[in-house]
Amino acid sequence: MINTLGLEYFKIRRKKIWIMITFFIAAEMLWAFMSTSMSIARNPDHAVWESIFFSISSMNGLFMPIISAIVVSRICDMEHKGATWKMLVATNVSRDRLYAAKYICTNSLLLYGILAQTILMIAFGLIKDFPGGPPIDLLTRFLGGTMLTTLAVTALQQWISMAIKNQAFALCLGMLGGFIGMTAGLFPAIARHLFIWSYYLELSPVTFLYAESSSTYMVQPMGLGIVVAALMMTFLFYIAGNIHVSRQEI
Amino acid sequence: MKRSISAEWLKLRHSRVGLILAVLPILSWLIGCANYYFNQGVLQNGWYSLWTQVSLYYGEFFLPILIAICCSYVCRLEHQNRNWNMILASPVSVGNIFLAKLIVVSILILFAQVLFMGLYLLAGTLFPIHEPFPIETIEWALRGWYASLSISALQLGLSLRFRSFATPIGISLCAVLIGLGMYIAKLGLFFPFSLLTIGMSVLSQDKLTDIQNILFWVMNMVFIITFVSMSIRRLKKKDIVSS
Repeated sequence: MINTLGLEYFKIRRKKIWIMITFFIAAEMLWAFMSTSMSIARNPDHAVWESIFFSISSMNGLFMPIISAIVVSRICDMEHKGATWKMLVATNVSRDRLYAAKYICTNSLLLYGILAQTILMIAFGLIKDFPGGPPIDLLTRFLGGTMLTTLAVTALQQWISMAIKNQAFALCLGMLGGFIGMTAGLFPAIARHLFIWSYYLELSPVTFLYAESSSTYMVQPMGLGIVVAALMMTFLFYIAGNIHVSRQEI
Repeated sequence: MKRSISAEWLKLRHSRVGLILAVLPILSWLIGCANYYFNQGVLQNGWYSLWTQVSLYYGEFFLPILIAICCSYVCRLEHQNRNWNMILASPVSVGNIFLAKLIVVSILILFAQVLFMGLYLLAGTLFPIHEPFPIETIEWALRGWYASLSISALQLGLSLRFRSFATPIGISLCAVLIGLGMYIAKLGLFFPFSLLTIGMSVLSQDKLTDIQNILFWVMNMVFIITFVSMSIRRLKKKDIVSS
């Protein structure tokens, strides 16, 4: 398995995918920091750690599905373009392992992006002199929640990217995901829980309470049901994708 | 030229690109309508308020990415099975090939714009909004389409350059954000992605002044000519990497 995973990294060594992720994350963070700074300028009460957590989580709803779609597509499309998938499956490595190696490779790259987000959030909080030190529990929950949602999203994307040669569909799905993730707050809770892309906000450690007089950020308790639902979706998408792609005629 | 265009159309048959073109405007429209419906107390400017809701997500985020997908799509076949070698060896100039692709993408985007306008009219009729339909929204949609030509020219150049389907779309996503920043910084006239925001009156429905209007049309034309000539020049001068 380690060997197969190592070969996945070897194949993408000149694709500069991590640089692309860095650019995306940088653009997203810049936007989030600008909007948070403007919000603090309007209302100094918003100068708290919670504000940046909510801002990044809501933007992740838009960006992460699209970034995930692009990264997964690039890693899977090289097999379609070079017609190398049939060569790979002809080796004595099982399709399950090949599929798993791609999945781990993609998610390790996206984990790098999420870790970069976390570090930038801490830096922003320290620069803005938010009260108290960096909240480790919130940071851990943010990391865990975002990564868990990303695991499910990439499982779905990998299924589509491997099963359908034409990557326009996979990227269109990524765009739809971004759209649903961005507008998740407008849906009722039942509808929100059906779409994995809205879990970026659902699994966020912080929520925003809208009130007529004043709106506040609030730490939301971690819903075990939501975590289980995300894990189940990850498992379902991965297994369904793996079975479909492994049995598909090349 | 006509034959190049019909060849491009031929490549798109059975591709279900229409499905991709329809899904995103419909979803943007649905969410915009829901937003309008639940906030009618605040949104009291009739058709204009409806426009702010339905065009926000579509014009700001999804149309530029839709353009990028279309451009990657029309270049997809060339990057497969050494097709570049065949195309460049055929008795058709590279300028013709590029322009045919640009025209096809522009027709696809025009279809998306027409669909979007049809949905907008339908929503206003169903709600119902009793004021007369504002003719300037048609002008906004047309301006949006015109601005999409410069983005298409840029994206086509990128799609021809990168073999990966997803890379130009990723670049487009970054450009959308830069465009938003340029628009906020009042430098929107100097960036194609901000010109789309201005053209479609997504964030502000104020009428453009005469100078702004002229600048909008001129800047777009400058971008189109620049991107087209750069891409054609690149195709003529650089070697093609084919699989």
